[in-house]
Amino acid sequence: MAAGQFFVISILLYAAGAGASLLLGKVDRYANYVASVAALFAALTGMAWAVPVVAGGDGFTLDLTGFIPIAKLIIRVDQLSAFMTLAISLLTAATSVYSLSYLEEYSGKGKGLLGFFMNVFVGSMILVVTTGDAFYFLFFWELMTLASYFLVSFEQEKKESINAGLVYLIIAHVGTALIMLSFLIIASKTGSYDFATFKEAPLSDGLKTLAFIMAFLGFGAKAGIIPLHIWLPQAHPAAPSNISALMSGVMIKTAIYGIIRVAVDFLGASDWWWGLVVLIAGAVSAVLGVMYALVQHDLKRLLAFHSVENIGIILMGVGAGMLGAALDQPVLAVLGLMAGLYHLINHATFKGLLFLGAGSVLYRTHANNMEQLGGLGKRMPITALAFLVGAAAISALPPFNGFVSEWYTYHSLFLAAKLGNWWVTLAASVVIVMLAFTGALAVMCFVKAYGVTFAGSARSHYAETAREVPSTMIAGMFILVFAIIALGIGAPWLAPYFSSIAASVLNQPAVPASSGLIMYPAISSQGTLSTPLIAVLLVGLVTLPLLLVLLWGGFGAGKRMDEAPWACGFTYSSRMGYTASSFAQPLRVIFRAIYAPNTRVKGPRFTSRSYFEGRVHYESHAVSLWENYLYKPLVAAVMRTGTRIQKLQAGSIHLYLLYIIIILVGFLLMATR
Amino acid sequence: MEYGKLFLVGILQAALIMLTAPLLDGISRRVRARMHSRRGCSIFQTYYDLFKLLKREQTVPPQASWLFTTTPYILVAILLLLAMIIPSITLISPLGLVGDLFAVLYLMALIRFFFSLSGLDSGSTFAAAGSSREMMLAVLMEPAMIMVMLTLALLTGSSNLGIISTQVASGQISLLNPAFGIGLIAFFLATAVETGKLPFDLAEAEQELQEGPLTEYSGRGLALMKLALLMKQVIVIALFVALFLPFGGAANLSLGSLIWGTVIFLGKLLVFYVLLAFVENAVARYRIADVTTITSLSFGISLISFVFYLVAS
Repeated sequence: MAAGQFFVISILLYAAGAGASLLLGKVDRYANYVASVAALFAALTGMAWAVPVVAGGDGFTLDLTGFIPIAKLIIRVDQLSAFMTLAISLLTAATSVYSLSYLEEYSGKGKGLLGFFMNVFVGSMILVVTTGDAFYFLFFWELMTLASYFLVSFEQEKKESINAGLVYLIIAHVGTALIMLSFLIIASKTGSYDFATFKEAPLSDGLKTLAFIMAFLGFGAKAGIIPLHIWLPQAHPAAPSNISALMSGVMIKTAIYGIIRVAVDFLGASDWWWGLVVLIAGAVSAVLGVMYALVQHDLKRLLAFHSVENIGIILMGVGAGMLGAALDQPVLAVLGLMAGLYHLINHATFKGLLFLGAGSVLYRTHANNMEQLGGLGKRMPITALAFLVGAAAISALPPFNGFVSEWYTYHSLFLAAKLGNWWVTLAASVVIVMLAFTGALAVMCFVKAYGVTFAGSARSHYAETAREVPSTMIAGMFILVFAIIALGIGAPWLAPYFSSIAASVLNQPAVPASSGLIMYPAISSQGTLSTPLIAVLLVGLVTLPLLLVLLWGGFGAGKRMDEAPWACGFTYSSRMGYTASSFAQPLRVIFRAIYAPNTRVKGPRFTSRSYFEGRVHYESHAVSLWENYLYKPLVAAVMRTGTRIQKLQAGSIHLYLLYIIIILVGFLLMATR
Repeated sequence: MEYGKLFLVGILQAALIMLTAPLLDGISRRVRARMHSRRGCSIFQTYYDLFKLLKREQTVPPQASWLFTTTPYILVAILLLLAMIIPSITLISPLGLVGDLFAVLYLMALIRFFFSLSGLDSGSTFAAAGSSREMMLAVLMEPAMIMVMLTLALLTGSSNLGIISTQVASGQISLLNPAFGIGLIAFFLATAVETGKLPFDLAEAEQELQEGPLTEYSGRGLALMKLALLMKQVIVIALFVALFLPFGGAANLSLGSLIWGTVIFLGKLLVFYVLLAFVENAVARYRIADVTTITSLSFGISLISFVFYLVAS
């Protein structure tokens, strides 16, 4: 029962952290220490029980029976729940160390409240992934949503934060309603809200499909699948950066957990087109997410769009796994789900790191806009190094962890394509090409993000005067840097655990994922990879050019002389450096159909006059097609219907009595039939 | 032990590619000169250039960070690793266990990542413009390259480059298979774009961007960057050869077949370089806006190749 006790302690620590932070709200100075330290210890306790369960496979059940008669609070932990807890706790540990100094930003603005919501938020996430009862699942889900809503709109003085919070709240609740419907459909046949009974729910095919679609859309809204993503790029940047890290890093993953739980665990992924739907939704989200990210100027907004992309990549793996489960291909099922889960924790580490890095930039410069930054690599070298590792990992560059999980995703899709089902071959191949395209775009996007923010010359006063962040913030970031390296280079040792988690969800035997230093997707002839060997060889091979330079050039030669970059004979100015918009310009032009850029030029154009008089005013916006052509008409339609329905409510008591009579007659008719 | 021997072959391949890349460039320069009716330089001129540069001091923009100065070393290291993975002398991949074609594709992305970042880090406008173009080309070429590689992988059932090479060379994949032949055309276009030679000399565009991301490099940094770019050309061609023309590669690790494999491989490279020199002389550089025509053409052809596979399966 040790694991169960640790579980309770960890939840109590979150609760204590939340309570203490709230009480200390008046003595603002200590609130962040109390909240962060409590969260740190709670996270460590969480890891202490989650690691053995993930590794050993023995879960536990805590029966904390009924506070209310209709539902029992049951904590039921299996490998998947423990894995999710591990991911959440890892990121929480890093962000809480980071928050110690970072929250100084919010002195006098209610640090106590911030610490309260942070602890409630993390605690409810852990309860979401461990609860074994539909009622309490929804309860904690709602708690998580509300806590994150308050965190998103925490900076009340900013209009964007309020708006972002509102959009988030609405979409999250539409999602919750759909999830509730899905649970009700299943519960209507089992007569219980206990998840244990959900697995054997005697559902007809039609109801199963309905439950799946409701759950997929409902969780999809939280995960940020396109087109349900529009809240995400507004809400994540609006929150304080440590919270953005948690929201992007793990909160949206609880939705992936929900999809896996409902579609695979409860409903058994029974139809193969379910997998196809998930696969295609993932591929579309991945490509469009990264394409939108590419044209952002706000660093945190760019990162938020990348969450849409990475959720897409995770869903590619999950979709391939669901295809395998439905087609009776256990190897494909385990491999696909494993790839999805691996990418899930990888994304938590590198996206968490990148948001913390963006937070560090914000902490020192207070400038969101990348165009105003630049040159931070020399002024904040350690933050820059951490950000670079995160950028390389999210761009799936070997030997970092993003590549390992994408490699498994490629191979699960490749395996699906080899199955011989014509439609699956077509779909899997198209998705592989889309994944490669996403990869290329992600590399470009992060070259831009790092290059414009950290490289080159400083473009503003804020960037020039920036200096390195306090050591606790660096420590928070480096926890994640080490996690990235461990998950990347240590992949051959860790991959079997992911295989076993995926297998436990599917009730299948685990597939071999590695042996020794070599990773392979179940069948070693299909392809092999070894990130530790790549890392060792790269380090070893660097010596060759070094030797060449030293032997031929000698030690004395090649002294560095600083000289301004070539500027065609003019004096170099930092304004000549490339900006985020200029870097992405070629793609904006090539893919104008997707961006639908709205460009306006005012003033003298291409005439001789333009050299002598007037200012030229240039304005360009990337229009959000989803907002313009999906959400605005939707909102307008709802408003119109509302106004029409309003006519019923004329204010006359006689009319209302008439309604009551009509309804009564209706009920009577229904009852007598 | 077989692995030990294979590792040595890998080192041999890496050394071969690193050492012959400047020579092949020299030959190509000579051929171009002949076509211009010039006498041209010695075919060893590129070596002389590199060695001279190694001894010069470096001039570095003051805003450049460690990224700028370390990139040349990182690039050469990644290229050496690629040279060890891609089967060139042999039919089986010397380091096939370390990485398959997905790894090769992403290692090439790693090269571009550092190459472009170094351009941005220099603070120079020209370098940054080159970086942006380099990334754009990658984005446009990636779908076609993966489509062709995937079709080949599906034909062989493996993503291991060595297995693909072996099966193509032994005729298990028929050369008359339309998916193979059409894929070859698409990949050839992609290879031409990736070598960065005319008419696709966009990122380093010598005439207008002063060699793009290389603009601010000098001395040993420039020498290594130049070496890296030359090696990259060879490696891109080697990848094409490994996938589509592996014939003559050593099927076993006996000394005789290794020597024969080396000779054949160098012969293939020579043919490619002479061909590319002809092309370089005959065409002008593409405008940046027009390059989408070629990349979408290449993707279109690769799609046809995949459809042929799909229809046949």
